[in-house]
Amino acid sequence: MNIHSRLGGWLLPAIVTLITLAATFAIMFRPSRGEHRGEWDAIGRIPVSAEGRVKPLDTVARNSLIQISGRQRWERDGQRVEAIEWLCELMASPRTASTRNVFRIDHPDLLALLKLEDEKRVRFSFNEIAPSLNDIALQSRQAATVEPKRRDPFQKAVLQLESRLLLFASLARMETPYCVVPMRQGEEWRPLADAVREPELAQHPSAQSVIGVLSAIAEGEVSKAGANAREYLQTLSTVPEARTSAAAHEVLFNRAMPFIYASALYVLSFLLGCAAFLMRPLWNPDRSRVVARCALSIMLVAFLLHTFGLITRMYLQGRPPVTNLYSSAIFIGWAAIILALVAEWFHRLGVGTMVASLLGFGTLIIAHNLSSGGDTMQMMQAVLDTNFWLATHVVVITIGYSATFLAGLLGAIYLIFGALTPLLRGEPLKAIPKMIYGVIAFATITSFVGTVLGGIWADQSWGRFWGWDPKENGAALIVLWNLLILHARWGGMIQPRGVAVLAVGGNIITAWSWFGTNMLGVGLHSYGFMDSAVFWLVVFCLVQLAIMSVGAIPYRAWRSNTVARAAKRESAAVANVPA
Amino acid sequence: MEQFRHLLGPLASLRLTVVLFALSMFLILAGTLAQVRDGVWTVVDQYFRSLWVMIPLQLFVPEKVLRLPGAIPFPAGTTLGILLFVNLLAAHAARFKWSWKRSGIILSHAGALLLLVGEFVTGIGADEGHMSIFEGSSSSHVEDLREAELAIVDATGEEDRVVVVSQHALQRAAGQRDHVITNPLLPVSVRVDQWMSNSRLLGPRQASPQQLARASAGLGTEVAAEPIRNVTGVDGMSTDTPSVYVTFERDGKELGRYLLSTRIDTPQDLFVDGKVYQVWLRFRRTYKPYTIHLIDFRHDKFVGTQVARNFSSRVRLVDPARSVDRELTISMNKPLRHAGDTLYQASYKEGDTGTVLQVVRNPGWLIPYISCAVVTLGLLVHFVAKLISSARRVVS
Repeated sequence: MNIHSRLGGWLLPAIVTLITLAATFAIMFRPSRGEHRGEWDAIGRIPVSAEGRVKPLDTVARNSLIQISGRQRWERDGQRVEAIEWLCELMASPRTASTRNVFRIDHPDLLALLKLEDEKRVRFSFNEIAPSLNDIALQSRQAATVEPKRRDPFQKAVLQLESRLLLFASLARMETPYCVVPMRQGEEWRPLADAVREPELAQHPSAQSVIGVLSAIAEGEVSKAGANAREYLQTLSTVPEARTSAAAHEVLFNRAMPFIYASALYVLSFLLGCAAFLMRPLWNPDRSRVVARCALSIMLVAFLLHTFGLITRMYLQGRPPVTNLYSSAIFIGWAAIILALVAEWFHRLGVGTMVASLLGFGTLIIAHNLSSGGDTMQMMQAVLDTNFWLATHVVVITIGYSATFLAGLLGAIYLIFGALTPLLRGEPLKAIPKMIYGVIAFATITSFVGTVLGGIWADQSWGRFWGWDPKENGAALIVLWNLLILHARWGGMIQPRGVAVLAVGGNIITAWSWFGTNMLGVGLHSYGFMDSAVFWLVVFCLVQLAIMSVGAIPYRAWRSNTVARAAKRESAAVANVPA
Repeated sequence: MEQFRHLLGPLASLRLTVVLFALSMFLILAGTLAQVRDGVWTVVDQYFRSLWVMIPLQLFVPEKVLRLPGAIPFPAGTTLGILLFVNLLAAHAARFKWSWKRSGIILSHAGALLLLVGEFVTGIGADEGHMSIFEGSSSSHVEDLREAELAIVDATGEEDRVVVVSQHALQRAAGQRDHVITNPLLPVSVRVDQWMSNSRLLGPRQASPQQLARASAGLGTEVAAEPIRNVTGVDGMSTDTPSVYVTFERDGKELGRYLLSTRIDTPQDLFVDGKVYQVWLRFRRTYKPYTIHLIDFRHDKFVGTQVARNFSSRVRLVDPARSVDRELTISMNKPLRHAGDTLYQASYKEGDTGTVLQVVRNPGWLIPYISCAVVTLGLLVHFVAKLISSARRVVS
């Protein structure tokens, strides 16, 4: 072994780590481009209160634009512009803002209703929609009388457009967000719109400052507006209610978008990891080891971003990691990665890295799709408003979900690559079942303890340890499924192949418990409903069933197994030949 | 002894365990899906707290896709619970061998047994109801929102004399001309013209003349009731509001046809031989030895939203028998435990004018806590034992 390959074993991965780290941070915290960036940044940091939470104006702008337009940025004359500029324009000069193409409308019948069906675009301005406001009101009034579950796509689209219009109008009239900061004892957050009725509110120093910023924007003097905003932030720094430093962090967090970059890196790491793991039998061991380490180092950088995002959210919210469906996706991925890395530490196959990146990417994509509803850090319903139970029950049960998914993914890899390809021969063919078993045992404990903690919380909150609520039932199903696998294995009823098949089945059960029960819309626990998610859930379950059916192939007919046996015979034959 | 163990064999088998787990999972899934159509309490009684259940096949296929009549009989929660219990006991009896290595497994299984016992005790022993109190007033009874009762009150004397007809009796007599509810305690006999397990009221201008003609006295001449579908588990926290059309008779003579409804808060007058009785349909009441007086109800919201931040009730608890008379606050996640009951902040009256407390009496409430602690301890012991043995292997 030469010095080159010995150094190369760690040198290349180390270089890859540094480059990825540097590149990602350079992109995430790049100075913003465009005119008056500094000014807009200052304006974005102005604290306001919306949906019950104090947050920077920048967050309100992004969430509102996502709700209206489906994305965080918009285009003006072919140039990408940040959400904050759009929001400020809307508040300062609604007439101009009404000409901007921000309303996303897809449904052909709805476009026909608005007489816009001939346009070759999906985003329209308020002025284009305005002539049909009466028709929209009429249609949405009819649609609203239909039970939410029975509404057809057109009715849903028209109601969605109406809610977008209402949001647009309330932003333009400055009814939301609440801009006037309570600066003295006994004051509360107030919307600027109230100043119409109460002229003295307009004299409030906070209202004066916001008006100053907005009128400078209306006059097109962004530099002046920025200066006003900075001065205002300076005054607010002594007002605890305004939480200016948290708001500044949140703006930074909004701009950095750690989860987006993390998911891109997860993909990269997954591809490298696949190459290293699957090419093991074909490549020389040094090469595949180096590639595996590169995959691992990129994964770790992605995980660092993931962790940074998770912790920042916890700091901004002042809450444990899981508070809603969105954050549960982020946390499930995060916890599953740790488990996968632990499993990797024990077995050193490279499969852990591959699985970890896939889980990280998958869960972040799910989270991304869940974030279109607006603020992902919204306030909690009163009964859920307890950090103790969020930190114990919710975290533990979510780790249980992670572990079950991890076992399922390992099972899928074992079945697919073992049965259908020759790539899993040798050590992995024996080691992966051991990993699956270990992960299932862990999943059993965490899902049991998590479920029980939930029962105790329920007993503390409304006097019922177990209410047979769909979400509780879902959790019980996960526990029972894991117990079933363990007992069947202890009883010798299933072998590694059967364990893997059942572990993949665990994916269906966990997906049901995580999403399916919310789709029933039943019970206290349901906190989100997404139509398209039903479709994806069905697809996901079908894919799992397909993978499980691969397990029907008897072990002796597995490609990896037959290839391994042939190789053994061959080497035995070689050994038998007298020298 | 060996023979005994031999007999236990089939009962103690792991195969049975696995089958029971699978059956339980199917039952739980069906019991979840059933909540799309039925209320959670109906489902709990049918699926989880009975010996067997008929599971409609339609549960598993959306009606839009395929209409599927028929149902399969299936062992319900009690049966499966008992079988799991027996299986677990038999397994440990047949294979019992004490060793430190197995102690964790034995402990965690003992905890699992306790968990089953706890759910059983809760199933038969627990009782819950709601106590609604308006600000400034008091209450010493809870209402069971799952069951109504027809109350006939004689308020003319020093103390109210109350006779009630249970929902069960009303339902049995419903719609049968020749079935009249009589009892020596009842001043009148009751004929049930129509029972509606969930209903809504129609105002004077919404109801048709025919509907209004169904009652000959009381409020029913101005408002009518019509049946609506039962509340399902999907509908969340709302409950069924039964109504009933009844005819009161005395000595074969009709005194009046009435509409009684749980949606009508006040009793209606019924004249029997010149004496006034008050009649109403209300949720079944249970009286408690203590009184709760609501001083103030608070409903805090997050700034600028309708999202509740907190509910709390400032109350005065009076229990003469225990010489208790004190003021305290009941709020979300902070219940009051008193006299074997636990009072939780559950809901509120329209316009924040009053509070609704959930009052739970569960003699087995502590069992899950103990069993969970035992299971967790068992699992911990097991894993520490495993860890030590594998560490030894590595060392040697």
